[in-house]
Amino acid sequence: MNQQQAPTLTVAEKTLQAQLIAAGTSEAANQFGKYGLPTRRVEAYHYTDLKNLVRDVPAIVSNGEVAHPTPKFSLTDAFEVPMINGDVPSVGDTPDGIIVAHMDGSGLSERDDVLVRLNRALSTKSVMVRLEGNVQPVVHFKRHINGEAAHVVSSLMLDVAAGTEVTVLETFEGSDEAHMANYSTRINLGAGAKFTHITIDQSSKKATHFHTMEYAIGADVELRNLVVNSGASLSRTQMFGRFEGEGTHANLSGLNLVDDGQHCDITMDMTHTVENTSAQELFKSVVRNRAKAIFQGRIVVESQAQKTDAKMMAQGLMLTEGAQILTKPELEIFADDVQCGHGCTCGELDADTLFYLMSRGIPKAEASSMLIRAFVQELLDPITDEELNSKLSTIVSDWLELGEANAS
Amino acid sequence: MSTPMLEIRDLHVAIEEKEILKGVNLTVPAGEVHAIMGRNGSGKSTLSYAIAGRAGYDITSGDVLLDGKSILEMAPDERAAEGLFLAFQYPIEIPGVATMTFLKAAMNAQRKSRGEEEMTTPEFMKAVRVASDDLSINKDMLKRALNVGFSGGEKKRAEVLQMALLEPKMCVMDETDSGLDIDALQVVSEGVNRLRGPKRSMLIITHYQRLLNHIVPDRVHVFSDGQVVESGGKDLALELEAKGYANFDSAKGAA
Repeated sequence: MNQQQAPTLTVAEKTLQAQLIAAGTSEAANQFGKYGLPTRRVEAYHYTDLKNLVRDVPAIVSNGEVAHPTPKFSLTDAFEVPMINGDVPSVGDTPDGIIVAHMDGSGLSERDDVLVRLNRALSTKSVMVRLEGNVQPVVHFKRHINGEAAHVVSSLMLDVAAGTEVTVLETFEGSDEAHMANYSTRINLGAGAKFTHITIDQSSKKATHFHTMEYAIGADVELRNLVVNSGASLSRTQMFGRFEGEGTHANLSGLNLVDDGQHCDITMDMTHTVENTSAQELFKSVVRNRAKAIFQGRIVVESQAQKTDAKMMAQGLMLTEGAQILTKPELEIFADDVQCGHGCTCGELDADTLFYLMSRGIPKAEASSMLIRAFVQELLDPITDEELNSKLSTIVSDWLELGEANAS
Repeated sequence: MSTPMLEIRDLHVAIEEKEILKGVNLTVPAGEVHAIMGRNGSGKSTLSYAIAGRAGYDITSGDVLLDGKSILEMAPDERAAEGLFLAFQYPIEIPGVATMTFLKAAMNAQRKSRGEEEMTTPEFMKAVRVASDDLSINKDMLKRALNVGFSGGEKKRAEVLQMALLEPKMCVMDETDSGLDIDALQVVSEGVNRLRGPKRSMLIITHYQRLLNHIVPDRVHVFSDGQVVESGGKDLALELEAKGYANFDSAKGAA
């Protein structure tokens, strides 16, 4: 085979390479120089061609004065861990069952993925949190970028002890600048853990937001997650997971709320490595104006993972001309006694349903909002924490109102 | 003469360039109940959708006046606010929209467009309780998503419930009897009869004379090939049932 020629690096790629060199990670810098950012020819980035989409990389954040900003999304009764500009916080006293510590480097495992490689190379330290027992308040990681446009690389590692029951919320926000964020969250789930994980991106519409989640899932775990993307001009949220213990069930879900000029990508890649695990994956996108929502879902069932039951569904609503939804399901099944499936529906709001509501006197905009809320509701219903549920509903309502305001 | 509640003047309607209604003339005075009978495919449902303003129905000529005002340029919600109500032949199931939320949204939207105050929750709850008791609608049904998992009879009762709550001045009922057993037909008809009054008119579209035993019309119109071909008193329905539609087709042909 011919020696692959090194690509011509774009300005953004050169900046990234320089940042890798400055961080003293020459090996990573060399490798990055060989491949650069992925193009559409790299299957996992087929719809999110980073080489073309990433135009500018701001300077690596320098931590000076770090003020505590007031987040858009907060709960009255949560244990908050502020992670501002990727810095490691001091949190003072922690409630029972929560231990906050630090470690060197990134929490992510090695993987053939550019965002993972960059996170691993550029994270100098991680916040490490151990959760144990029945952790009462929601644990809220406020991941925030302050100040001028900056490249922030930040890593969080959660160690959820066996039998622990906890809800973890991560919010991603920042000043209204063209930041680039490369966040990671590595989560180890001990046997019997009941873990709810909600991530909400409401970063600046000028920003680029990357978030990689990695789940190592033990036996008899109940895992539920919900990814909400309604910020950033370019975002990619990726979740990698391995089912490593029997008897586990996961509900994985996500919502892209995408408006003019945004490009939001959720990519899921789950591997079943043992018998008797099940997963239901439900991802929804609502897109208006010239914007793009992407869902890629990959389920791998290894040959020994008999009795796997995994069902993946992607549903999209395109509200206006120019809205795009791109979906790619992949199933790789090496076991012979499994139930796996995927489905996809995409379309506009149903005209007959709209007419029915309007024939009762409900104006079109209100009728559309009712139907969009109904479409999203299925994702919010399982979130049992009342305040969390109602604030998630508010994100949807605000998004709808913004659309109505811009349309009129 | 006082202004009729509904006046349809030489209405021509095409769907995808195919003419379905070929000059409908029909007048329903205030307080009267009229029935339209006709076989499948004669254009009865097209008429009801055209009146309500469904998209895809091209009005090529003619006019529809509600209480003296042309409604053809209005969106469906504006027509409803003017007092028009269409009871659907096949009410739409809407998962994720709670029945009560929908009822409240509809009632308040109409009030708002008429410049009235929104209802308070206790007022609303009371109105729903009274109207649903009249129609033997149980609370479980109201707790479900709109029309989701409702039986045929429940869906039709829910339509009449909406009609009772929205208090329209002109009700168009598209085959409200279809899919109903005798008991349900009784309940629905009683519900409709309770809503009859000097300020409310109704246009009842049906295949069968059966419904008209329960809701006795002031006039009956026979519909064939996109036109009204014969009009008469309530006995016309019996004559139609006895002779069949074919007779009326030829009557028109000969005229």
